[in-house]
Amino acid sequence: MLRLTGIRKVFYPHSVNERVALRSIDLHLAPGDFVTVIGSNGAGKSTLLNVISGRILADAGDVVIDGQSVTRMPEYRRARMVARVFQDPMAGTAPHLTIEENLSIAHARGRGSGLRRAITRAKRARFREELATLELGLEDRLGTPVGMLSGGQRQALSLLMATYVQPKILLLDEHTAALDPSRAALISRLTTVAIERNHLTALMVTHNMSQALAMGNRLVMMHDGAIVLDVPAAEKDRLTPQHLLDEFARIKGAAFSDRTLLD
Amino acid sequence: MIIALQLGLLYAVMALGVYLTYRVLDFPDLTVDGSFTTGASVTSVLIVGGQSPLLATVAGLLAGAVAGCVTGLLHTAGRINPLLAGILTQIALYSINLRIMGKANVPLLGQTTLLSPLRDSGQLTTWVGVGVFAGVVLAVGLVTVWFLGTDMGVALRATGDNEAMASSQGVSVDRAKVLGLTISNALVGLCGALVAQFAGFADISMGIGLIVAGLASVIIGQALLSGRTVWVAVVAVVLGSIVYRGVIQIALGVGLNPNDMKLISAVLVVVALVLPRTAPLRQWRRLRASRVAVPDLTETDAPEAAAPTGEAAR
Repeated sequence: MLRLTGIRKVFYPHSVNERVALRSIDLHLAPGDFVTVIGSNGAGKSTLLNVISGRILADAGDVVIDGQSVTRMPEYRRARMVARVFQDPMAGTAPHLTIEENLSIAHARGRGSGLRRAITRAKRARFREELATLELGLEDRLGTPVGMLSGGQRQALSLLMATYVQPKILLLDEHTAALDPSRAALISRLTTVAIERNHLTALMVTHNMSQALAMGNRLVMMHDGAIVLDVPAAEKDRLTPQHLLDEFARIKGAAFSDRTLLD
Repeated sequence: MIIALQLGLLYAVMALGVYLTYRVLDFPDLTVDGSFTTGASVTSVLIVGGQSPLLATVAGLLAGAVAGCVTGLLHTAGRINPLLAGILTQIALYSINLRIMGKANVPLLGQTTLLSPLRDSGQLTTWVGVGVFAGVVLAVGLVTVWFLGTDMGVALRATGDNEAMASSQGVSVDRAKVLGLTISNALVGLCGALVAQFAGFADISMGIGLIVAGLASVIIGQALLSGRTVWVAVVAVVLGSIVYRGVIQIALGVGLNPNDMKLISAVLVVVALVLPRTAPLRQWRRLRASRVAVPDLTETDAPEAAAPTGEAAR
């Protein structure tokens, strides 16, 4: 469903600030794969999602989604295939637009926006139905500006908007990290439900080890712009956070000793 | 007072254009000063050349649209800062407007304009005239409200509200910006065309500082009439334009120097921008916002926990 080959991204090339964000990433997601991605700050996790969504273009390598090469395709055109939920609950919705207007944008995704009415009775009924699945009472608040909602509510709406028109790939960028534990749990539950209901292929970045183990069928660990560990479904169930921490320490230690050797 | 009402209604067409860029797209567009004169000069030259006034007016509107499109392309394709893109177009238009007119002033005295029927029957500066202008503004306002309620209009509003979100939801934000600037300056060009026919001339300096009048109308309108729906915002802009012209007319009436009007306009906008941020007004707004906040059911212990939503509501 998603195939990355030899993805490389360098920020500020040929300057003192040059930073290699992605070295040479190869990653293949089969349809229905739900991969959790962990790694330290600066490991390249967010850059990876940005390259897949088209927000930034890779310097080298290929991005292929469902057999179609999208390496050079701009973000707004990839939106037909790739949906995304951001870490910041404010990022995924337009605050001055109402709940139903926000949903109408998700509704129009991939169809292009013409001069048809954004809100019709039929669409409104569907919005209500979809919002009801969140069980937050938002279905009775269609005319409320999204800016009036809490972070948890906005993130739930962002998730709904991302999966409203079934994407081929769903990207989740630490989408529960900015929420308090109870809301994070709610959004995690809604995420699992949405992915299972729509049989989505998903990639979730997280800093939370137990979340990375609890969700998804495959786990990938990144370090310093490379994938250093790829745990398939069969092994993932047996892993514990301690295993991951040990593995992490081992990789970091290796990197460290490499550097000392170079000195 | 009738004259203030008429000017207020006429310039409301321009103010609606400014609303589209400044408020909806969050793009402070300075093209306005130039595209207004472009609309006026194209229309005037065509009328003097014997074209039908209706055709001439439509041409003025289209000329404004082209100007807006240029600013949009400078910003999106050329990656030029919005303010600078507008200023560049505006300055370029000064020369272009002189080229169109061939001189600094084109009088329309004795020409047949769209307003000739009103003028000839002596109704131009009566309530009949006001009614006609109100009809024009109503039509433009209705089209604006209709457009902002379409898929494309909502995409435009989302672009101004949260560009990153719009892009990730498949909206081509570049196209939305160019489109918004084009429509906005089409309205400004139309306004220039109408004002030239009302005043009886087109002049190279008629657009100078017009953006301030547009901003004043938008800001005053919003201060007087704040609402969430698009149509309330559109009515507010028209109201703001009328109030602004009224204030200017009163200032002239009490004997202030017409040369000071630009200074007064600028001060008016500064006051309107700063005043709402002063402490008492902010408190009042917060109070109102918290009253309409949505109970937050994502909280485990529901009702008391609704408080934090207040701050999210700007």
